[in-house]
Amino acid sequence: MGCLAAGGLSGPDKKTFIAKQQVQVICREQRQPGCFCSLFYCCTMKQHPAMLIEWRGSGEIRENNSRRGMVHVWWSNIVSYIPDWPVFVQAGATLLIPVVLYFTHRWFRSVVTNGGGSSEKLTAATEESDSLLTGDYDADLDSIKQAIGSNDDLHFREYRVAELGIRAALIYIDGMQEDQLIDTQVMQVLMGKGDFVPEVELESSLPPADRLAAYFRQRILPVVEMEEVQGTQCLHEMVLTGYTALLVEGMPSAILVGKPRGKTRSITEPTSEALLRGPRLGFTEALSENTSMLRRQGRTELMEIKKYTVGNTLKRDLAVVYMKSIVNPDLLQEVEKRVAKIDLDFIAESGYVEQLIEDDILSPFQQAQNTERPDRVINALMAGRVALLLDGTPFALIVPVTFSMLLQSPEDYYERWMAGSLLRLLRFFAAFMSLMIPSLYISFISFHPGLIPTELAITIIETRERVPFPSLIEILVLEVSIEILREAGVRLPKPIGSAMGIVGGLIIGEAAVQAGIVSPFLVIVVSVTAIASFSIPMYSAGITLRMLRFVGMFFAAALGILGTILFFLLICSHLTKLKSFGVPYITPVSPIRLHDWKDLFVRAPLTLMKLRPEMMKTERKRRKA
Amino acid sequence: MFTRSDDKITTSQAVVFLTDSILGAGILTMPRDITEKVKTPDAWLSVLLGGVVILLVVWVMTKLSQQFPGKTIFEYARSIVGKIPGSMMSLLMVIYFLVIAGFEIRILAEVNIFYLLEGTPVWAVIIPFIWTGAYLASGGINCIARLFQIIFPISIFILLLSFLLSMRLFEIDHLRPFLGDGLPPVLNGLKSSILIYTGFEIVMVLVGHMQHPEKAVKTMLLGAGIPIILYVFATMIVVGGMSISAVLRSTWPTLDLLRSFEITGLFFERFEFPFLVIWMMQMFCNFCSQFFVTSLGLSKTFGIKFPIVLFALMPILFLAALIPRTMNDLFTLGGAIGYMSVFLFVLVTVPLCLIYLIRKKGLRKHA
Repeated sequence: MGCLAAGGLSGPDKKTFIAKQQVQVICREQRQPGCFCSLFYCCTMKQHPAMLIEWRGSGEIRENNSRRGMVHVWWSNIVSYIPDWPVFVQAGATLLIPVVLYFTHRWFRSVVTNGGGSSEKLTAATEESDSLLTGDYDADLDSIKQAIGSNDDLHFREYRVAELGIRAALIYIDGMQEDQLIDTQVMQVLMGKGDFVPEVELESSLPPADRLAAYFRQRILPVVEMEEVQGTQCLHEMVLTGYTALLVEGMPSAILVGKPRGKTRSITEPTSEALLRGPRLGFTEALSENTSMLRRQGRTELMEIKKYTVGNTLKRDLAVVYMKSIVNPDLLQEVEKRVAKIDLDFIAESGYVEQLIEDDILSPFQQAQNTERPDRVINALMAGRVALLLDGTPFALIVPVTFSMLLQSPEDYYERWMAGSLLRLLRFFAAFMSLMIPSLYISFISFHPGLIPTELAITIIETRERVPFPSLIEILVLEVSIEILREAGVRLPKPIGSAMGIVGGLIIGEAAVQAGIVSPFLVIVVSVTAIASFSIPMYSAGITLRMLRFVGMFFAAALGILGTILFFLLICSHLTKLKSFGVPYITPVSPIRLHDWKDLFVRAPLTLMKLRPEMMKTERKRRKA
Repeated sequence: MFTRSDDKITTSQAVVFLTDSILGAGILTMPRDITEKVKTPDAWLSVLLGGVVILLVVWVMTKLSQQFPGKTIFEYARSIVGKIPGSMMSLLMVIYFLVIAGFEIRILAEVNIFYLLEGTPVWAVIIPFIWTGAYLASGGINCIARLFQIIFPISIFILLLSFLLSMRLFEIDHLRPFLGDGLPPVLNGLKSSILIYTGFEIVMVLVGHMQHPEKAVKTMLLGAGIPIILYVFATMIVVGGMSISAVLRSTWPTLDLLRSFEITGLFFERFEFPFLVIWMMQMFCNFCSQFFVTSLGLSKTFGIKFPIVLFALMPILFLAALIPRTMNDLFTLGGAIGYMSVFLFVLVTVPLCLIYLIRKKGLRKHA
């Protein structure tokens, strides 16, 4: 067929066409798989043999066809157009496979989304048992001892309040109370060794039970942080998480006098998002420190922090942070609605929150951005996004997220705009490369060697002479080992890690080429891919691309460049469907918002960025006064 | 409103949607089709004149659709001519779009097998594309429009770049003499030049889905104008680069033009490959829009749920794509689609307009 087609060409075309043929012949001689689909090459070609021969059909045949369309051959002509049974079988498969996939997908989605519904009864049951403190000192103390007294690290310190002549007890967990504060501000004051003098006479001045707590708070205890608790369940939780509780005779509530004294680590630069320029500040595990870090970013009355409790059995605080009068109220409402819906016994990390509030569980793309950097959070807040901070983790979540955010780094804004823009373009290019290069390699080597410059094609094929595998197997061998290498390297201590990098990357790569398992060109391809994927600023976005890269390789192995295009179209189709909190995932590109293009592939000079991102539909649009 | 739940498209999306619905496989074969009829270098003039005719038709269709905001032809045809005739008209439209969709995907497969994947069975190319198209179409018109917005700039850029690179072969003498045989050959070619714009009937569906239907006229004319300009340029450059006789000899003249020169110093020596790759995406877009309109029409006409129609259409599309046995059959079908387009105009658009006008006048008199 090649010769047939080449016959119709002339001059330079013919030369290149024949060259292409030769390259393909070389390929086949080297036991390259012409293409995977030739396995299925069964019926369709037999049916259309004429198609190839009449490829460059002349006008005459067409005229003949139309003349033949007389009445007596009409019917047989139509019959001849009805395809053979294999085509109908294929048509059946065209229907059947997506139907099966669709229902599997629906079933799976319903399983995934309804999986959390069963624990509702449990929460209802635990809430019922929350009774109030009675005010009867002995009874209350007994009930507390009964409920949580079996903890050996729980201490009760009973004594008499000297001036008032009533009994009181301090309840605390060993090692979590603030000794000095309790000694000087509570014990000394109450036991009368301080300079405390009641303003009025004893006994008669003792206020009624309901005002006793207020009396203690306002008149007696010189402590700033103080909280009154009435529910027993709440009291138990607070005591066990480290608060020091004060129970006083005749008072139907307990006063929490001391905060838990826990060790927190110092503020360090985040290791997962290192920057050359920018604040060396990273979140820590304590929520109060994280929120205060955000507050310290600048003086404003706009920032609001709302706290929610998440986790049914082990409760934690989750702070929703936003800029009042910048954030779109509908977005905020949606975020709050989803946070309120969180229903799990324990939220271990903000990754849990991310997975429980995201739009599409079955998407390979992340729909919330995690970050350790307060500056990143504050910039997102100023753009009208919402941040979620969970107690106990340095990773804050930013929602909604768009695709371009995953390839942006705060440094883009700190450096001057030209450098920022170029680096950003570079990152987009790197992301594309890390996703597509292996698939392109497979499609060029296995299917279309004629499409790359002839010299290069011949060089590549020469280097592949000793490799016995088809390009898919070859590239899988190397890609999988690189992935293993990366996975192993993450957890190793630094000195060993670098040694392993040298052994894994350099020695094994070199040896694999010499052993004839992979070709040297492939080593270049895989290394460039790996390095390109390192340049993606978000670790989790990098994982997504790594995952999809393998999918793309299988597409390319099946259908060559067509498979690669198909893969690209599939990803695009998926991305156009995906939304994060109602914001289309690839929004500045499509739906097109030209204003936001200033901050997409390039980072325009700051003076030009007068408006907040259009996609966030913020309340206050202008950034300048 | 922060999240949009209505399936409406913005003005710019509508432009791109219409352009992508027209711009498809046509660009690969169109220069030859027209030149065959015109037989003088004035083929581009036919394309231009055909475009003007199409713009008029588009204008009529838009004006008609604008009378029924929020409704597509499948709904307003019924309210104009009654339930059964309206459904018949909708069915005609549906069949028409179905045939175009099948044709488009078959051309895609043929070009592919010829240039890229020799020896691959047709079904192996067609079926994955049908599935991908269905996946996209299941997201509704908004998702399709968004995908078009991604693909459109890329494909237009590559198209213009290939035009630019082909300019080195361009010889103005190939386009001379201008009107050497007078106007008759140009008018002769007008018939087939109208045919290359098939798919513009989608206007009658698009206007109903627009967020701002009041801007429909400008939008639709722009959307139809872009492919017209591109087609005129394509014809001029292909004929100017290859001369009429070479164009007539080749099956895919545009691709043959691109493979007849080499670019040194770039990764690709010949530009036909990137062009083909990108244009396959463009053809996929074209296919998707026809696929979507077909399923939309069926579901609206017969009141079937959209996903069911989508599933049912997949095997039908596959069969439709495989019915032409040879390339000649395929090109004959291409011509037939053009005639169907004219028939459709005569059988659907014109009666709808007339009956609507008569009814409106009648109503006015009564009032």
